[in-house]
Amino acid sequence: MRIVIAEDDSLLREGLALLLRAEKLDVVATADNPTTFLAAVDEHKPDVAIVDVRMPPTHTDEGITASVEARRRQPELAVLVLSAYVEQAFATELLSGGAARLGYLLKERVGRVEEFLAALHRVADGGTAIDPEVVAQLLTRTRPDAALNRLSPRERDVLALMAEGLGNTAIAERLFVTEGAVHKHIRSIFAKLDLPPDDRADRRVTAVLRYLEDTQRRG
Amino acid sequence: MREALEHLVGGLGTAFLALAAVLWLLFVAIGCLVAVGLLFVPTALRLQRFVADRERGRLSRWGPAEIVSPGPAPLSWRDAVRDPTVRREWRWLAWHATFGLVVGIIGISLPLNAVRDGTFPLWWKLLPPPDATSSLGAPVVTDWVGAFGVWALGVTWLAILTGFGPALARLQARPGRRLLTLPPDVDLSLRVAELTATRAAALDAHAIELRRIERSLHDGTQNRLVAVTVLLGAARRALTRDPAGAEELLGRAQDAAEQALAELRTVARGILPPVLADRGLAGALDGLATTCAVPCRIDVDMPGRCAASVEATAYFVVAEALTNVSKHSGAAHATVTVRRRDDRLRLEVTDDGRGGADEGGGSGLTGIRRRIEAHDGILTLTSPPGGPTTLTVELPCGS
Repeated sequence: MRIVIAEDDSLLREGLALLLRAEKLDVVATADNPTTFLAAVDEHKPDVAIVDVRMPPTHTDEGITASVEARRRQPELAVLVLSAYVEQAFATELLSGGAARLGYLLKERVGRVEEFLAALHRVADGGTAIDPEVVAQLLTRTRPDAALNRLSPRERDVLALMAEGLGNTAIAERLFVTEGAVHKHIRSIFAKLDLPPDDRADRRVTAVLRYLEDTQRRG
Repeated sequence: MREALEHLVGGLGTAFLALAAVLWLLFVAIGCLVAVGLLFVPTALRLQRFVADRERGRLSRWGPAEIVSPGPAPLSWRDAVRDPTVRREWRWLAWHATFGLVVGIIGISLPLNAVRDGTFPLWWKLLPPPDATSSLGAPVVTDWVGAFGVWALGVTWLAILTGFGPALARLQARPGRRLLTLPPDVDLSLRVAELTATRAAALDAHAIELRRIERSLHDGTQNRLVAVTVLLGAARRALTRDPAGAEELLGRAQDAAEQALAELRTVARGILPPVLADRGLAGALDGLATTCAVPCRIDVDMPGRCAASVEATAYFVVAEALTNVSKHSGAAHATVTVRRRDDRLRLEVTDDGRGGADEGGGSGLTGIRRRIEAHDGILTLTSPPGGPTTLTVELPCGS
């Protein structure tokens, strides 16, 4: 996996590169601003870009703009956006054009190396990684809605992990249940929420997020 | 004496402006008789208000009381004639353009004559006899007795300047103080308007301040802590594979944690320096001086304490000013003076550097100015090329 990192904080940039290289991943270039990042993408044609949201010159959302531009130039590029804080509204905006090959995580998730690497691979393989914090924000802000209330606690857990972008196997591992059980839960969830069942993780994420967002708006 | 002279020169400046305004007003008034002048009425009234506001600003800086500007001038002749403030300004213009001008000219000719006559014995021999006179033009000096007589005249000029200079300056300012102040009710409503505006500015300044803090927490401290977790995560993964590498990673993680602590301290100090509460403004400023790269003398004479927010503002003004001094001025010395006069705190930061400081040039002064205006204070920066640079701030003490 060929990776380009865009992060303006030098300590964090080096730390990230160090960590990924120790995991035998190929960090082909690092950049500390949007311009050099885009140049690196053009030059190295990486598989994945790990991008900090706040970068010079204004330290607001340069990372997002740069990610969008990078994907325009190279549509197959997977992008994992790291942010100091996450906003659910921001996540839905980011995913509005489809959730495939996109990730949006809190920066500190990198420290949980196994989970971070799993998310990185998921995104690189065409999946999605949404920070649990975003999903939690959605679930807590969502007004109790009849359909959601009909979900069992276990189904809610599965829903949350689905929203993060996890596949059936990963969900089964997290919840220490069999894949078959996960499958059943998911079918039940889609039935209760009246959503068309879909096995593709990225479309599933969008469907679930959109559902939660809609309930929130209606509430 | 220096102060009196400054006031006289400043007054002379506004007197020339007043003269120009009077001439323009008369010109426009005559023009109105043939209708063309009507076109120029708004500019004439604006010029009049501009000149009057210059004088108001000058007298406010002189103190003790601030003279508030009535705001934009009325733009039609009819409104102007009805407006008592405008009529009072006309009276002031007439006084200041004549009387104020004469007093100002006397004021600056005193020191010039003092120098001329005081040095007369040194150079009178060089003059052809009919030109060798005192500054009064007579009598013609032909011998040394006469030359020293002129010298004595020079000393007299100096004595007059020292003795009567301040009185002369006050005399020149009197019409302005009497005619440019607003009637109490107008003054009060204007003050309310101004305070509403500055209060909004205060809230803005506050929001900007919070934004700065948020940014330094998110982009500084938090990044350090994220780096700590990243390095710890990497170290844990390396523990079994490569213990020596893990040891190195742990060392780096510790460094990053220490940096985070240092940044946290900086951020906290930037919110409200604890030293202010512990040791007061004088002690806090001493602390700033010792960390300043340029040798700095602190001279604080301030009985009692001011409101905490005022002291904090004063502290940040000096901190910013000293940062600018060490970064840009190339100065060898800086001086910080703090005085309390009645209920106003007056700060002055001076350096002997190259001058040419520019408020727009990305210095932190813009933020500082907002903070000061939010406190209803005044900031002035004088920095001619070649120096010296002086930053003066006046703040109501709020206690």
